[in-house]
Amino acid sequence: MIICNYCQAQQLDGTIFCTVCGASLIHTQPQRQTTASLNRAASEAAQLVEDEATVLPAPAIATTGPAIVLVVLSSGRRIELPAAPELIIGRKDQQRGFFPDVDFSLDGGYDAGVSRRHARIVRFDNGYMLEDLGSSNGTFLNRQRVPPGQPVQLHHGDEVQFGMLLARFEVSS
Amino acid sequence: MSKVDLRITPSRSVLPASTEPQLLYALIELSAQSGATKMPRLPLNLCLVIDRSSSMRGERLQQVKQAAMQILDLLGDHESFALVTFNDRAEVVVSAQLARARAEIKRQISAIEAAGGTEMATGLALGVQELQRAMMPRAVHRLLLLTDGRTYGDEGRCVEIARRAQARGIGITALGIGSEWNEDLLETIAARENSRTHYITSASEITKIFTAEVERMHNLFAQDVHVRIALPQQALVRSLDRVRPFIGPLPVIEETDFVWTAALGDWPESDTQALLLEIVVPPLPVGRHTLLRMSLRFRTPGSDSAIQSHEQTLPVVFRDPNEVSDNVDPTVKHWLERLVAYRLQASAWQAAEEGKLEEATRRLQMAGTRLFEAGQVELARTVQEEATRLLRSGQASAEGRKRIKYGTRGLIGREEQS
Repeated sequence: MIICNYCQAQQLDGTIFCTVCGASLIHTQPQRQTTASLNRAASEAAQLVEDEATVLPAPAIATTGPAIVLVVLSSGRRIELPAAPELIIGRKDQQRGFFPDVDFSLDGGYDAGVSRRHARIVRFDNGYMLEDLGSSNGTFLNRQRVPPGQPVQLHHGDEVQFGMLLARFEVSS
Repeated sequence: MSKVDLRITPSRSVLPASTEPQLLYALIELSAQSGATKMPRLPLNLCLVIDRSSSMRGERLQQVKQAAMQILDLLGDHESFALVTFNDRAEVVVSAQLARARAEIKRQISAIEAAGGTEMATGLALGVQELQRAMMPRAVHRLLLLTDGRTYGDEGRCVEIARRAQARGIGITALGIGSEWNEDLLETIAARENSRTHYITSASEITKIFTAEVERMHNLFAQDVHVRIALPQQALVRSLDRVRPFIGPLPVIEETDFVWTAALGDWPESDTQALLLEIVVPPLPVGRHTLLRMSLRFRTPGSDSAIQSHEQTLPVVFRDPNEVSDNVDPTVKHWLERLVAYRLQASAWQAAEEGKLEEATRRLQMAGTRLFEAGQVELARTVQEEATRLLRSGQASAEGRKRIKYGTRGLIGREEQS
């Protein structure tokens, strides 16, 4: 039996796409079917959610300027972004020790084609710029493709799409 | 001699010898080679049932008339043609007759005018009646329905009439044009063997699609095609779906212990047929096992009652789990990915109807992801846009819904090459 990373549904060994949510299960390792392993899987999943629910803890430095938020439209998750000169957006990769500031792994980032280093948000003057970091499936601002390496300005309420993952950028002053 | 090529590709040809049941997918591809000699052509008994409501006025109706005349020219002197129109009421414009008095028939077609509303059921009933007037033994009976509007209140009757006709061997092609017609109704009407539905996105495609349909009916390679799937003890068929020429579930019945059958209907030679089978495999020891014995039974036109059959088996090797890689066959994965996208969007519409908008959006977005990975980028974007619209406004657009429902099944515009 295997357990879907995305929706935690139990699936038969050999299942390629989860029958409940449709996520890819290729390379998901079978679990031994004991209650102990099931409990462990459930608690691991819960832990993961906790780990991922917040982005980096807000740095101690005094925050200047307005707070910015990315809202993931599919899940409704609000990611409050720390005030930093640069925020990397992508998917974490534990094996390679890569941890972006905004990690979309638990929002279905892998399936949505979010690259590990997908894009970044850079602070300038009193505003923010969005830059695609050569992602495989592209970054879109209000449905317009953002050419890699050419930052574009972000405004409150903008729709930002990383691969297929849709989010809204908000500035709360 | 007619020849069938039956090819079975499993998702994995080496499986881990496990103590648990596991899932195996198999892509079954059927292709037809009628060889040098031309297949005998069965006479066609055709009735067009055309929506002439006021929204058809202009290019749509013009194109339909032109298409009807071209079809008439494709028919031989021993084939039957009829044409029924409907708006608020239905009318036989060309009664069922052999395609001979062509000039007179064309004059009748050219006199059709658009006006009024859309009431489909009576039109369908008259169309079926015309086909029954011209019933010939060993002919192919086909009703070709075209609509651009929503029929109100008589949907149930439409489906009943369609089922009765299909039970009598009349196949139905249900074509929708524009963005106002009821895609759920046309899909339901066509959800039987020998029937199909298609979304015509532009009036300029009408002639091409009408004539292509007649040509398909003119080149039947086999009729009454049945598949029979025999599995080892304790194995199960989880599902069987058609993936080519278009995606859709196939009803499959366990006839005796561990033997399943499904009816595929008639087989136009130009259609490459492909099915995707999901099998639950019981724990088996290390070694070589025959996981599937599949046979295909059919009649060929002109050979009367002689039933031909063709058989193929699927051998699979079971090994120590540590020696088995988890890679899967890319072609099987491609079609499974598209099938999963189709299933996800279908369940998304259902969730939306039940008011579960977030669930619906999630499913649509996952459908988009699957399509994206299957290389259907344009359709993936449409799905993504509708998912966003659904989440924001609580409703998808009429056109987007059709593009997604028909697009995921491969029922829009050009037939795909691959």
